[in-house]
Amino acid sequence: MKNILVIARRELRHYFTTPTGWLALCAFLVVTGFLFVLEVRWFALESMDIAYNPYREPLDLGAHLLAPFYGEISLIMLMICPALSMRLFAEDRRQRSFELLLTSPVSTIEIVLGKYLGGMSFAGLMVLATGHYALLLIWVGEPDLGVLAGAYLNMLLLTAAFMAVGLLTSAMTENQVVALVLALMGLLLFWALAAVGMIGSGPWAEALSEASLFTHAEPLGRGVLRLRDLAYYGSFIGFFLFATHQRVESMRWG
Amino acid sequence: MIKVEDLSRRYGEHLAVRDVNFEVARGEVVGFLGPNGAGKTTTMRILAGSLGATSGRALVDGLDVAEHPRKVKRRLGYLPEHPPVYANMTVGDYLRFAASIKGVDEPAAAVTATLKRVGLEGMQGRIVSHLSKGFQQRVGLAQALVHDPDVLVLDEPTSGLDPAQRKEIRDLIRELADGERTVILSTHVLPEVEDICERVIIIEQGRIVAEDTIDALASLQRRIRLQVGRPDLTLEQAIREIPGVQRVEALAGGRYVIDADGDLRAAVARIAAPADLLELQGREKLEDAYLRLTKRTTGDANWSADQEDPA
Repeated sequence: MKNILVIARRELRHYFTTPTGWLALCAFLVVTGFLFVLEVRWFALESMDIAYNPYREPLDLGAHLLAPFYGEISLIMLMICPALSMRLFAEDRRQRSFELLLTSPVSTIEIVLGKYLGGMSFAGLMVLATGHYALLLIWVGEPDLGVLAGAYLNMLLLTAAFMAVGLLTSAMTENQVVALVLALMGLLLFWALAAVGMIGSGPWAEALSEASLFTHAEPLGRGVLRLRDLAYYGSFIGFFLFATHQRVESMRWG
Repeated sequence: MIKVEDLSRRYGEHLAVRDVNFEVARGEVVGFLGPNGAGKTTTMRILAGSLGATSGRALVDGLDVAEHPRKVKRRLGYLPEHPPVYANMTVGDYLRFAASIKGVDEPAAAVTATLKRVGLEGMQGRIVSHLSKGFQQRVGLAQALVHDPDVLVLDEPTSGLDPAQRKEIRDLIRELADGERTVILSTHVLPEVEDICERVIIIEQGRIVAEDTIDALASLQRRIRLQVGRPDLTLEQAIREIPGVQRVEALAGGRYVIDADGDLRAAVARIAAPADLLELQGREKLEDAYLRLTKRTTGDANWSADQEDPA
């Protein structure tokens, strides 16, 4: 356990000692800030329109502002996470420092979990850095706190899933760009699988859509906590961490 | 202290190490010699636990590396060919990290002591990638030493360094080898081995071709190097007629290489004296033994500039 934390701390520090981490954080806050303004403006204009239109239902802060806004942040995380995770193994192997980990008294599980935890900590910090938008909303309005909590839990779980995929692709190659592209392609695929269920029908379409991250992220984003979604996240992350472990082991034996 | 039994390692179709057996006693300093691609690094990586063996086993102090990786790694320091450093960390941060994952109880104290030992005091705050190759090598060595291991495995610790740096690292290794510590180092700089090691293991195409003390290896075959001021054919003929001489090779500049089956230095000197004897060297050099054992052409085994060590 201590070894995991030692490795995780080094990985986390790396993001703060290189410009990449700060750059990602800045870009992320600028884009989310822009989206926040857009969403709030749209919500305010619509609400005004509804105030003068007796035939329209009033908007719900949770469904019409929180869910779409945090859904957009999740998509941005989908694109940023591969850039955060790409270096975890690839850079270590390219600059040969990985040999230090391999010849230290730590297990492969500890290496994998340490790197995952380090990358995940930074990605999680990014998600939590959007907290001021939530505080603003609580200050000026009365958002459903359950939906808000659900949205944050959902974003953290999604980020954890994104980072798990990125961890595996980073372990597959010494080239960070290849790791980035592979992770991005994989994640977009897992995201878009939900569309199969919307277009087609039958057991195959249903199975594919059940495998999609989007299918399981959407309910929690609305504040609906279902056990099956949590189980999905758990097995998704578990699968990719296990695959990473096998990949790292194969470096020793392959 | 180190025991390797029937060790083999296969990379796909290629057998990099085949049935290698050797032992190293506690406190011994052993040189691992062989051409590039002979399997030195593979063997060392298996010992250090970063590579698995296809068959056979490696034991450190009676513990199988594959079965007790943690215990073995805690007692073994490994310096790979490329120092395993994180380029954008400071020396101090990097070594504290290395000490922590190697299970050192008080990383800060261990780091201070190690930095002093490898001559990096005052470099704690420097970024590793800003250091010269020689200093990066020291950082790599510090990483291998920070947990005060009983066994040191060093893969070409002096490669890529200039002669002065090479001498510094060599002095450092000799210092580290003092006492109880067991050291295996690979190199292809032969004078270095003669300088530091008590025993050598020569490996070629994944097999051990010789394993002995340097003196024993060097005296396997008597080779005399001779240089005279006035070389002529009668001299060569006269040398050939000395009983015990097997081969005489005449080289440019009045130099001769003579292979014999005994110590013929006195006899050769007598015959060569009238022809203005300039130089006579009796003992076969390690490099001759090495070249012979790894089946390289002998001839005039003058080393190229890159292998000659003026330091």
